[in-house]
Amino acid sequence: MQKDVIQPKSWVLGACILPGIAWYVYVVILPMITAMRNSLYNWSGGPKMTYIGFKNYQFLMRDSIFWQAFRNNLTITLLSLIGQIGFAFILSSLLAMRFVRLKRLHRTVAYFPSTVSAVVVGYVWSVIFNYDSGLLNSLLRAVGLESWASPWLDIPSSIMYVVSIPIIWQYIGYYMIIILAGISSIDQEVYDMAEIDGANGVQRALKITLPLIKGTLGVCVMLCISGNMRIFDHIYSLTGGGPGNSSIVMAMHAYKTTFIKSQFGYASAMSFGIMVLSLSLIMFSRVLIQQPWRKEAAIDA
Amino acid sequence: MRRLGRLLVNLLLIGFSISCVFPIFWVLYSSFKSQAEFTISSMALPKVWTMANYVSVVTQSQMGTYMLNSFRTTLMSVSLIVTISFVMGYCFSRFRFRGRNLLYTVILMGMLLPVHALLVPLYIQIRDAGLLDKWYTLVVPYVGFGLPMGVILTEGFVSSIPRTFEEAAAIDGSGFLRTTFTIILPLTMPILATLIIIMFFGNWNEFSFSLVLINRDELRTVPVGLTMFRSMYRVDYPRLMAGMMVALMPVIVLYFLFSDRIIQGMMAGAIKG
Repeated sequence: MQKDVIQPKSWVLGACILPGIAWYVYVVILPMITAMRNSLYNWSGGPKMTYIGFKNYQFLMRDSIFWQAFRNNLTITLLSLIGQIGFAFILSSLLAMRFVRLKRLHRTVAYFPSTVSAVVVGYVWSVIFNYDSGLLNSLLRAVGLESWASPWLDIPSSIMYVVSIPIIWQYIGYYMIIILAGISSIDQEVYDMAEIDGANGVQRALKITLPLIKGTLGVCVMLCISGNMRIFDHIYSLTGGGPGNSSIVMAMHAYKTTFIKSQFGYASAMSFGIMVLSLSLIMFSRVLIQQPWRKEAAIDA
Repeated sequence: MRRLGRLLVNLLLIGFSISCVFPIFWVLYSSFKSQAEFTISSMALPKVWTMANYVSVVTQSQMGTYMLNSFRTTLMSVSLIVTISFVMGYCFSRFRFRGRNLLYTVILMGMLLPVHALLVPLYIQIRDAGLLDKWYTLVVPYVGFGLPMGVILTEGFVSSIPRTFEEAAAIDGSGFLRTTFTIILPLTMPILATLIIIMFFGNWNEFSFSLVLINRDELRTVPVGLTMFRSMYRVDYPRLMAGMMVALMPVIVLYFLFSDRIIQGMMAGAIKG
């Protein structure tokens, strides 16, 4: 290979790259390895560790709360895929129309909730959902739907739908910005031609925008899945996982297992389980998106 | 008919925009109510505007300390992320060296890994290293988690800058460091601005690692501090809302001052990503 005029000496290069690599390895890679080791022990966090082989994993397979948490993560993910990306697609298609006024204002305002701390979002919505003085029930009573007023955060059967609302609300604008970025890269002439040919707004959105921003939507789907697999702050501040364990999510279960029950070995096994489940789901969605014969399914799912 | 359709689309978007800010707006005006008035009607504007809740936040809570902690942590993390990512992203983009592809793949993995699976393992590791409850503790995970995105964004951006800039500089006798920081750095400013924005909001709002790695009240950051505040005033909603407004203020001011830049940066980042 010809010597490159700009290539620095290798120790300079090393000094530029290695500190960052070391930092990253210490924070991301090393904990994974130690978690794998710790997961083979019965350990309550102190100096005493008892080797128990794969018992923690056997226990994890039968831990009904963990699997409920996983199902809850899946529910939130599914609702978010429909709610966040679906709404974001509709709203950005509308926003991209030529006659829409106040475009910049809409964009600015829509993105705002994603910059707010998830804890604040959780608390705000916990007040909105409050039975006695919450905004939602006051609104229902004001319009004469007294009987609809409910203790929203105390009904186990519908709790997952209720906690998904703030999560969806917070991030519609985030996906809107990503989708708008995708739409802005489409040549305006394509739309003009379609308009001349008599395509209406819905047709333009479905037949032009949708196929042309397939890649962008794929990114959105992956972001949405990985974001919802690690959901924690919202649940912590809205319900704490309750009532009972009805709104528990995986990260919350691992948190409680460590800091309330002090089962460090078991929590390590659980962390490893969360990693495997999340990664497989992300990979799975990737495969779905890249298969052209399943592309609609991947986008709608 | 056509006019009506257009009007409807505009109204729909206005309705959506209102729903995006109304909850925060509601928190703002409710924070000026007394608890009694809030219980009677949570929707209405305050009849009597009171500053009592804010006085209580400032005098009776640690909110000032929490904000200082958040500010220090965010500033340190973001500067480190930007500096390290810039240097690494530049080297990964420009130079071929042994192990480059392996190292880059390992870094890329960090974008996919669910960081919350690391909550417990990283807690154990940091506890055993004796690094819990230090003023710099949170910088450790924040920088580690921020690097993958930083490296990927800069790597992609530097690839779009022609090599001739550096080759010309090298022929003129400019050394590696000088070329990197006086020629390349200014050119990568757009993507670094995006990175700063993403990382600022991410680190300022980060909750779970802050919750488990910091136990001393005087080191807590704003999001965790709010949960302390909440457990103190469980049913006094207007006072909690005043606390939330104080906690949100820096983000709101910054966001609406720089919203155009922030959104442009996010859109640029989205196209790259």
